[in-house]
Amino acid sequence: MMILGIESSAKAASAALCHEGVLIAQYFQNSSLTHSRTLLPMIEDLLKNLETSLRDIDLIAVSKGPGSFTGIRIGISAVKGLCWALDAPACGVSTLEAMAYNGLSAPSGSLICCCMDARREQFYNALFEMQDGKPHRLCPDRAISAHELAGEINNFEKDVFLVGDGSHLCYNTLDNFKGNIILAPEPLRYQSAWGVCMAAAQEKPQPADELLPVYLRLSQAERERQAKVFGNAPAEKD
Amino acid sequence: MLIMSIETSCDETAIAICENGRKVLTDQIFSQADLHAVYGGVVPEIASRSHVEVISQLAQRALTVTGLQKSDLDAIAVTYAPGLIGALLVGVNFAKSAAFALDIPLIPVHHIKGHVAANYIAFPQLAPPFLCLAISGGNTLLIDVKDYTDMEILGATRDDAAGECFDKTARILGLPYPGGKHIDTLSRNGDDTKYPLPRANIEGSLWDMSFSGLKTAVINLVHKAEQKGEELDRACLASSFTRAVSDSLVPRTMALARELGYKKIAVAGGVAANSRIRQDFETAAKNEGVELFIPPLSLCGDNAAMIGCQGYYEFLAGVRAGTDLNAYANMEL
Ligand SMILES: [Zn+2]
Repeated sequence: MMILGIESSAKAASAALCHEGVLIAQYFQNSSLTHSRTLLPMIEDLLKNLETSLRDIDLIAVSKGPGSFTGIRIGISAVKGLCWALDAPACGVSTLEAMAYNGLSAPSGSLICCCMDARREQFYNALFEMQDGKPHRLCPDRAISAHELAGEINNFEKDVFLVGDGSHLCYNTLDNFKGNIILAPEPLRYQSAWGVCMAAAQEKPQPADELLPVYLRLSQAERERQAKVFGNAPAEKD
Repeated sequence: MLIMSIETSCDETAIAICENGRKVLTDQIFSQADLHAVYGGVVPEIASRSHVEVISQLAQRALTVTGLQKSDLDAIAVTYAPGLIGALLVGVNFAKSAAFALDIPLIPVHHIKGHVAANYIAFPQLAPPFLCLAISGGNTLLIDVKDYTDMEILGATRDDAAGECFDKTARILGLPYPGGKHIDTLSRNGDDTKYPLPRANIEGSLWDMSFSGLKTAVINLVHKAEQKGEELDRACLASSFTRAVSDSLVPRTMALARELGYKKIAVAGGVAANSRIRQDFETAAKNEGVELFIPPLSLCGDNAAMIGCQGYYEFLAGVRAGTDLNAYANMEL
């Protein structure tokens, strides 16, 4: 199966083509240029260089969040446009699950902790355990405070492999940790379109028009309105 | 030539299919007004979220109701500026990808030029040159429409747009959002001379306008009445306010047309739906022997048909965008 993966949920953007789990090509750009400008040219160039076309692709996959609201929408809007034009299904995968594949080299039984800096003193996070050469999910995607996350990881008493743009911050909060902490090297911290392809291979495709971003957070206006109506700050949605 | 057009610059998700610019085969609009009403104005993040949820279904519906196939489409036009950036990005990225996958041209369209083009749809005989007053929630512009794609702004508001002024006044009067329609209804039974309000003139600049003074005057009037415990006549205030806006727009537009030697005036944008402003324009145009063009209400607000129409003329002028097209919150005409 030929999968085109698209990842635009944070500062870096990437597009990748995988065939039967093997990476054929990947374009990755970690610059300050907007994904709105760079993402589609990356896909166009990648296909052109491989002398292939969108028609040769079996599945288009995209990271659907959590992450930058705007970044996610750029990726999903692009995929919706492609799939609508091609009459093709899409596959939306969790940004955190796709990122967990960055920890594939971690030994079996160790914990992969994916954390993106969600600001407001929180991480977007999910925990996975390496088993049989694959990350297995231990909890749903969520927005969680650094303090709470550190407490949870301590309870597992396993070696931890940290990935994501919040991994350095997470590393610094785990100072009394008993096990081994491995902070992924810089290029392996970022989410990649390859990870999106790997995660998509495990999931069922869906009609592209039903693809929805996963924000894990209400908009600021909704939060403020809830706070006003209910007289307190609402709990973060998981 | 069949163009599918996409408009997501504010709180309407709209997709149309037009033939040779002026013939609208379908104009699908999903309005989010209800979503934003509780906030008393458009919330950009909520608008962006809503656009991405419905865009594919809307594109599909446009095909279904016309019985067309994707392979029938010759080009895709999209609003790329100006507007709410997060909202624009959804339409632009959908349009880019769809045009790329269908291997057909992509045409970037300026939103305001689209509003001007709404007149071509409503009036098959209309052709440039003419003077256009574009009045909406975001803009108040006097545009010299020299040609279908060559336009020059000769006058503009220095602060609030006329539509913004309507929305704010509606809020002060306790009317629900969007306020323009409610002010229009309320003002019909009011005496427009009861409350003297300032006009939008700027000293030393004939064609530019300023609406912030008018807004402040309304706020002060309401506050003073509250302090004194007096009851304001809301219908008269709405009427006096609308007259002040109209007096700032209509004579100025007529004078500029005279100056340019134009015998054709077009009005565009959401505020062009106001019945008082329409009526004042009609009277003035009749008195001066000028041909007046104001689109029907359905074409005054944001829609995709106007983007498809302008897209057709942009296409004829050779305008194309590549896969690197970006969206812009602000952009010169
Ligand atoms: Zn508009």
